[in-house]
Amino acid sequence: MSAPVLSVRDLKTSFFSQRGEVQAVRGVSFDVHPGEILGIVGESGSGKSITCMSILRLLKSTGRIMGGSANFDGQDLMALDQGDLRDIRGNKIGMIFQDPMTSLNPTLSVGEQVMETILRHRKATRAEARARAIELFELVRIPSAAERLKSYPHEFSGGMRQRVMIAIALACDPKLLIADEPTTALDVTIQRQILLLLKDLQKRLGMAVILITHDLGVIAEVTDRIVVMYGGLVMETGPVHDLFATPKHPYTQGLLASVPDLRDDTHRRLTPIPGSPPDMAHPPEGCPFTARCPHAMQQCQAALPPVFGEGQGARCWLHHPDAPKVAGVNEVAA
Amino acid sequence: MPTYILQRLGMMLLTLWAIVTLTFFLMHAVPGGPFVSEKMLAPEIQAALNAKYGLDQPIWAQYITYLKGILTLDLGPSFKYPGVSVNKMIADGLPVTMRTGLLAVIAVVALGVPLGIIAALNRNKWPDTTVMLIATIGVAIPSYVIATVMLYVFALRLGWVPTFGLDNWRGYILPVFALSGFWVSFVARLTRSSLLETFEQDYMTTARAKGLRPGQVLFKHGLRNSLVPVVTVLGPVVANLITGSFVIEQIFALPGIGRQFVLSITNRDYTAIMGITIFYAAALMVMILIVDLLYAVLDPRIKLSEASA
Repeated sequence: MSAPVLSVRDLKTSFFSQRGEVQAVRGVSFDVHPGEILGIVGESGSGKSITCMSILRLLKSTGRIMGGSANFDGQDLMALDQGDLRDIRGNKIGMIFQDPMTSLNPTLSVGEQVMETILRHRKATRAEARARAIELFELVRIPSAAERLKSYPHEFSGGMRQRVMIAIALACDPKLLIADEPTTALDVTIQRQILLLLKDLQKRLGMAVILITHDLGVIAEVTDRIVVMYGGLVMETGPVHDLFATPKHPYTQGLLASVPDLRDDTHRRLTPIPGSPPDMAHPPEGCPFTARCPHAMQQCQAALPPVFGEGQGARCWLHHPDAPKVAGVNEVAA
Repeated sequence: MPTYILQRLGMMLLTLWAIVTLTFFLMHAVPGGPFVSEKMLAPEIQAALNAKYGLDQPIWAQYITYLKGILTLDLGPSFKYPGVSVNKMIADGLPVTMRTGLLAVIAVVALGVPLGIIAALNRNKWPDTTVMLIATIGVAIPSYVIATVMLYVFALRLGWVPTFGLDNWRGYILPVFALSGFWVSFVARLTRSSLLETFEQDYMTTARAKGLRPGQVLFKHGLRNSLVPVVTVLGPVVANLITGSFVIEQIFALPGIGRQFVLSITNRDYTAIMGITIFYAAALMVMILIVDLLYAVLDPRIKLSEASA
């Protein structure tokens, strides 16, 4: 496997409020390889979005990166000065956000919002930037691209706005595209269009993509590898097929069991994961999933487990060599 | 757009007519009159004066005569200053009032908006707390108190500026400061809170994610979206400042129309009251129209249509 495009190591991010410190991300590590789509899944509050905002250091004023590194293109994004970081944002790393209704500036034409990115990073005249913007609109399949440049965001539907956002993110041929829940705010039919568009663009442009989502269907459909996050930590990582076939972490198993299956006609009830995520203002000392885990042991409460396993790694004590055997978790049924 | 402006102008004329009518009858309903004073005039002289100015006519006849005058842009003769027309009173007072008023408007925009930006950019740090402290004082203390204190300190004690009159540029400093103080503070606070709200918007994160420089993010994406509420207050503020302030004009002895207006009321100078009221109302309505037109420039989502008129 070639060298990763992005290597995140032990990333920690906290938010500070009157309540004190909230540890949103507590030491996250993962790699993104060239040309792959890496999915990051987790429920709300698991730290998946904050992880990605931290990579480009785009946190709101109350957030602070407490430690770790993010190696991109031979540089640690966490150590770069603001000027060098700005040269990477929108240029080598593009980003798409969750809500296309609010992510575009309502007072500027969409053409201007695409062109300003090009003009910022490329030596181009306005005419050249305009030509490139038309090209990008055609790439993301916005009909009558040239005329639409003059339109304002409120004249577009949600799906079309997300296409504009994608065009902006792709304006400078990024090596890495970070898509933070790009389909969550869209209608179901549009979700699929945007997802397939992203997958198609990724193939054609050969870039790496980080796709953040809480939708396992999305993950199964388009990603190559998955990072499962919970309580600000990576619980399990691995190739998407392995992870769906043999999830090793009880949390991943719970997630998969809670997905409705339309082909299943036994009319069984959905299996939710009981309980709620931990309060990150007072994160537990041990595994954050302990309180909701059907297989919790004393050890789980006492100490945070390390990641066990190569290729498909799970942060769970059950994969310690001395752990008791639990059917379906660390003991494969015969 | 031209249809919209024409419609608005039509509405303005209608509103002006309503204001004229209301003011006219309210004014006449108040006991007393321009020629009633402590020094009693001989009844014959009073009758002659009333006849001269048409006050002996029935009220509706006076009203019709007055309306006819306005249609030819003639605001009539002053009842108090013989031989002086109200048009001339306004023409004399207006330049003084406008000059100080416009300087105050410039101060409000040129100081208020940048101070608000500085405060917002340094949220909860010393530049913010300093600006907000001064702005709070500026909003809380009435302008006449500021004016009187400044007159005492800078004119009387230090002698840096004249105590009255506008003979040179120094004379403008205190009146402009006193006139604009409240609004500079108000606009600074408004700009700050509006900008801070805009900073939290998702599109500001998008702008940063594009790699735009802080200046581009602030001015191109932030400021324009924050200025809508500021422009909203600026409309009436401009109308207010350029039509003068009685208190400030009185304190600094400026011969402006603000002072004329209040004097005309105590004098029961009917035509002057009417004329200046009409002038003030028209100025306010024109400013509000300009603000509405500016909205459309600032925010493309606002469409000026016949329906919204």
